Amino acid sequence: MKKFLTLMMICALVLMTGCGSEGKKPIDKDASKVKLGMITRLNASEENFDEFMRKIEDTLDVKIASHKIVFFDSLAQMQSAIQAGQVDEMSTYRSVARYILAKEPRFEVLKDHSLEFIDSFCFALREDETELRDSLNKVIKDMQADGTLDRLTKEYITDIKEGTDPAPVELPHFDGADTIKVAVTGDLPPLDLVLANGTPAGFNTAVLAEVGNRLHKNVELIQIESGARAAALTSKQVDVVFWAIVPISEVIPEDSDKPDGVILSEPYFKDKNVHMIFKAEKK
Amino acid sequence: MEFTELLYKIFLKDGGWLTILNGLRVTVEISALSLLFGTLFGSLLCFFRVGKFTPLKIVAQVYISIIRGSPVLMLLMLLFYGVFARQGLSPELVAVVTFSMHTAAHVAELLRASLMALDVGQVEAARTLGFSKLQAFKLVTLPQLVRIAKPVYQSTIVNLIQWTSVVGYVTITDLTRVINNIASRTMQPMITITGGMIIYLALSYLVYGLFNWSDRRRGQ
Repeated sequence: MKKFLTLMMICALVLMTGCGSEGKKPIDKDASKVKLGMITRLNASEENFDEFMRKIEDTLDVKIASHKIVFFDSLAQMQSAIQAGQVDEMSTYRSVARYILAKEPRFEVLKDHSLEFIDSFCFALREDETELRDSLNKVIKDMQADGTLDRLTKEYITDIKEGTDPAPVELPHFDGADTIKVAVTGDLPPLDLVLANGTPAGFNTAVLAEVGNRLHKNVELIQIESGARAAALTSKQVDVVFWAIVPISEVIPEDSDKPDGVILSEPYFKDKNVHMIFKAEKK
Repeated sequence: MEFTELLYKIFLKDGGWLTILNGLRVTVEISALSLLFGTLFGSLLCFFRVGKFTPLKIVAQVYISIIRGSPVLMLLMLLFYGVFARQGLSPELVAVVTFSMHTAAHVAELLRASLMALDVGQVEAARTLGFSKLQAFKLVTLPQLVRIAKPVYQSTIVNLIQWTSVVGYVTITDLTRVINNIASRTMQPMITITGGMIIYLALSYLVYGLFNWSDRRRGQ
């Protein structure tokens, strides 16, 4: 046995001598690309995004494939990465960018972002939950019609005092009623954040509270990492996942962020994608 | 904004420190319970592994190989979103089961390594002197086993505390998750993460300190 091992080690050493540099470094196709940070989606992968970007470039004759997508499981990780120079830009939404800028002036929104995309936000549910999806759709339509969504948008997004957090939201409680378990991430302030006292809050939570009131159902918020939301939904640990994204674009398919076995509600909010950069020296 | 003011805003304002303490409590709870059950199960596994009953020996060997070779996050997600998904178990319980299983595999191996380091002749001598098997184990093997295993065991505890930082993936708000939430809300990731790291470091040094203190008490 010892002889065999010794022989194997000698072979490995001989083979390793051939592993030295040949003088030519392999060409990294992505080295010249702008690294763009994004929060992990429900389903879309880095490869998917690369493909969409190539498609957009081919179809619309714009330069966008110059970006290399890097996903992060939390906003904190993405911010750390951009501050450390691991990514060059981070992709987020206009409302989130406004919140970030009010808290950290060293960030800047890129004005010359080559192409502007709008995403709509939906609830994601398991495909067998069509009844709940239909109830949610009805409530969303009612809330759009009676101006509730606009009021909540103003109250929790556009009108919040600069540098402050949105007010906490009281979730409804109905004795003996069913409970909808909703997964939230806390990674999209002021839409989805966790307050200093540890309670989830923000626009999405306010929408949920209104949905709960109208459906006469209790709402339980369960905080989870972005990357584990699809697993939590399909394994029935939660009933609804908050923020699934549906891109509003002719080129990117609507279901690009929808995993198999998942259905989406009507959109309850739309926002524009923006790219942000970090200027360390700026005060 | 002054640095102290920034620190106040990040860690203390609006009862933020209470949320951090709550996250710390969750981390300590999961770690302590996993350590307890992991050590008990690990000792049993070690008993099977070094025992003479071949089927149990193989079972223990296979278990240790699989668990030690698997990332703990994968195991946690497999148990929570797969194996126990329909059982209605709380995420904290599944986390304790997962980390106990993982710790057990490591404890079993560290105990086996410590047993192998012991001089078999001493037990034989004790038996010749009329000690029963239990007496020989209690009075000869165990004290030496504890002494040899202690340094590695304290590293296992510290590793366990660090492993628990992935429980955010199964809907648990532990110290890491709280720190991430604060960073996302305050837009100060570097300071917040550094603060979180200091708390984990303090926890680790508390473990080292406790072992040091027990060593001193025993005059080692």
